[in-house]
Amino acid sequence: MTTTLVTPRYRRFLGAGRELWVQYAVLGLLALLVLAPVVPTLYQSVLDRPLYEAGGILTADNYVRLFTDAGFGTVILNTALFAVGTTALTLLIAVPMAIAVVRTKLPGARLFAAAMQWPFFISSLILGFGWITLYGPAGFVSTQVRSWIGTVPWNLYSIPGMAVTEAVALAPIAYVFCANALRQSDASLESAAQVCGAGPLRILFSVIVPMLRPPMVYSSILVFSMSVETLSVPLLYGQPVGIPVFSTFLYSNGLQSINPDYGILGAASALILLVTVGLVALQAKLLKDAQRFVSVRGKATRPRRLDLGWINWVSIVAITFYVIFGALLPIGGLIFRSFTLIFTPLQSPFKTLTGANYERIFTFDAYTRSITNSLIIAAVGAVLVSALSLLAVIVARRSTFKYRRAVEYLALAPQAMPGLIIGIGLFWAFAYAPFGAGSLIQGTLVALIIGFGLRALPSGFGSIAPSIMQLGAELDNAARVSGADWVRTFTRILGRLMVPAFAGAMILTFVTMLKEYSPAIFLGSADSNILGTTMLELWVQGNTGSVAALATIQIAITAVFVGVAGLLMRGHHDA
Amino acid sequence: MPDVRVSQLYKTFGDVTVLHEVDFTIRDGEFFTLLGPSGCGKSTTLNCIAGLEKPTGGTITVGDTTFVDSTAKIFRTPEERNLGMVFQSYALWPHMTVAANLAMPLTIRKASKKDKQQRIADALDKVGLAHLADRYPHQLSGGQQQRVALARALVYSPSVLLLDEPLSNLDAKLREQARAWLKALQAELGITTVYVTHDQDEALALSDRIAVMADGRMLQIGTPKEIYETPAAPEVAAFVGRCNFLHGQVEKTDDDHVHVRLDACGEVVEVTGDAQPGQQVTVAVRPERLTVGPTGTGLPCEIVTSAYVGSHHEYHLRLGDQTVQVQSPRGDLTGAVGLTFAPEAALLYPRPLS
Repeated sequence: MTTTLVTPRYRRFLGAGRELWVQYAVLGLLALLVLAPVVPTLYQSVLDRPLYEAGGILTADNYVRLFTDAGFGTVILNTALFAVGTTALTLLIAVPMAIAVVRTKLPGARLFAAAMQWPFFISSLILGFGWITLYGPAGFVSTQVRSWIGTVPWNLYSIPGMAVTEAVALAPIAYVFCANALRQSDASLESAAQVCGAGPLRILFSVIVPMLRPPMVYSSILVFSMSVETLSVPLLYGQPVGIPVFSTFLYSNGLQSINPDYGILGAASALILLVTVGLVALQAKLLKDAQRFVSVRGKATRPRRLDLGWINWVSIVAITFYVIFGALLPIGGLIFRSFTLIFTPLQSPFKTLTGANYERIFTFDAYTRSITNSLIIAAVGAVLVSALSLLAVIVARRSTFKYRRAVEYLALAPQAMPGLIIGIGLFWAFAYAPFGAGSLIQGTLVALIIGFGLRALPSGFGSIAPSIMQLGAELDNAARVSGADWVRTFTRILGRLMVPAFAGAMILTFVTMLKEYSPAIFLGSADSNILGTTMLELWVQGNTGSVAALATIQIAITAVFVGVAGLLMRGHHDA
Repeated sequence: MPDVRVSQLYKTFGDVTVLHEVDFTIRDGEFFTLLGPSGCGKSTTLNCIAGLEKPTGGTITVGDTTFVDSTAKIFRTPEERNLGMVFQSYALWPHMTVAANLAMPLTIRKASKKDKQQRIADALDKVGLAHLADRYPHQLSGGQQQRVALARALVYSPSVLLLDEPLSNLDAKLREQARAWLKALQAELGITTVYVTHDQDEALALSDRIAVMADGRMLQIGTPKEIYETPAAPEVAAFVGRCNFLHGQVEKTDDDHVHVRLDACGEVVEVTGDAQPGQQVTVAVRPERLTVGPTGTGLPCEIVTSAYVGSHHEYHLRLGDQTVQVQSPRGDLTGAVGLTFAPEAALLYPRPLS
């Protein structure tokens, strides 16, 4: 050996290694982001005037007024009916479908499983547009049915109509929970039942269905909390005919009234937050308890598929009906709508084929800008959110940081925060921020990136966390012992090995943020319109053709992005 | 090369104490093995030396450098301890070539480019893998990966080498070759080495000294011969090699010969040792030190089962109400037999009154 090497020494700032500074920075940033919308909302809810006005007095008056004279009782009742209906319908669609696809001899099962991923590409706003285009009072299918039997036997603009649409949109979530549970369960249980002389139907109801109880419980809590906070469908269906729910109550009180009552808005937001946080906490607890009972067996058992005879054909028809009438036709109709002037069965739409809907978008600068704005937000946001998620995962799962559990909880907390409330809360936070820092951000794309990014953070964290568990901790230990400190271990080893997971998180958060719009309702301005808010604006104006065109553009961007990213990722793996 | 001194080391996880005030000193250039069943605290001890775990109390020093001192609140991070370590899974960084794996610790130590190349070439040469410098870890066999891991741990001339069951992922044949090779390499380099294993054969073959651990305590520290021939406690005898334990009571003593009446059959045996008449004792005899003869000699036994294991035969004998293991070159033993052993072949342990 030629020269002697010096043992590495790392500098300490104020007595702490640099990793501690990084870890505290991540914790601080997450806490700031999560608390920024929550604290002003809670504060506003107990303040007698807008919180940026001087001389506010603490009071419970807002809550009293909310329950006495704001018509909030109807709102609670509507929301409860809507959420319960959605949850019940979601299970009705998802559970039989999961059993049929995973556990019976169903031709084309793989195709159906892939088709269940459609909500990843399509926002519930676009689905709502599509449904109205087809099944609304003047919709294509409604008009056709009326010409056949003289009446339309359904009314989309009602609580059941809202619940059906929302259930179609949320069914894939419950489906994924149930299908995974079915795939993991031990097939020998069924073989045992068969040996005892049970027929396929008996096996189905006495062995398989009871096993689905845990995923049914927690997916219904998840679906319930998502339908409590959702804005799209209630806004499109309920708002025009006067059926207010939580989210549309916030929307109309905060945005549409000329002199918004911030106290009522704060109190209502605080209550909704309480409900969603409670539901998400309950779901997390149930999920944790349920995992204790999942036994991982070394031997992989291939799920046995039951032959149910004629019932198989019933399930094929039902699933095909769901996919075609629930998703394919409405989306296809919406895309078709974007290329015609008039969309009705009374006159062949092919006669009025046109590019005018797109022309309008590309001639008005404001509309074009909403496309570029959405792209900028999604692209910049995806990078930032994925980077923050990666840091949070590494701190939470690969450090000895005292508050690493807090980092994990903070990163997942926005799950329980409705988009609209993030919007309202950040709006107040910017208005209240010291030194006027907030007014620089208010109404700009930066504000939207913060709001949308916060919404996407749990998905980013959730997509990265499992991959780090697959990297052995000995890889870090080897780097530490051979002289790399925590920061260098991250930059040289862990960071490099996490590149594929990081890319995956970027794709996921890009698509999520491209679809997002609800925080922008309060955070946006005329200059920072995005696809979602522009579509809503055009919809209110009655410009359904251009709405269809923008929706088509959004779907196309998503499809192209996911396709290209998928190809790049695959190429990377082969290398 | 410095001594490693560990004193009063203890570690608790919540209410569970995994290390109870462990003390030992590893001498300069020594091959020191921590041996024990899984969960005995040997890996925790090693990780405390490496700095990957923070002990609850105690001190660890290497030469003049204090790594850990709980009373003075000193804790040196692993990256500043300048140790080499080989992990059970080898932990080669999969996105780097063999050469890049070796280069990283050198880059961190700001070695010159020429020095770096020289050291990498030397280290790979030592483990006989100079031709594989540009391969990625997944292109290597298990044995090659293990040697690269060793080269990476040695390339920056660390003060102490730590090995955490580095051979346990190799198949039996390869493990024996690797054992001989590792021993030779360590002797050649003269580097102080701490080795963790649950494999007693490995420990006996490789070590200068062995520390036998159980339930977070040190049972005995000694040379392989001391550990095998004169185990300090029945637990050590049971863990290192196999052993028969016969309980009994001392009848009489006669110089350093003790006559023990066995509980199992009521017969008296003679062993060397130190005990008082009337004392409850345990006589420990290894299976290969027992001799099977015709009935009428020694202890009356009956052969229950026999097994041929290649180099010898293994028998289970019934002695009164107890089963005794015997190892013998003869394969034709059946029925009633007599069992004998030389007084100095057995060990005598006092038995606490229960």
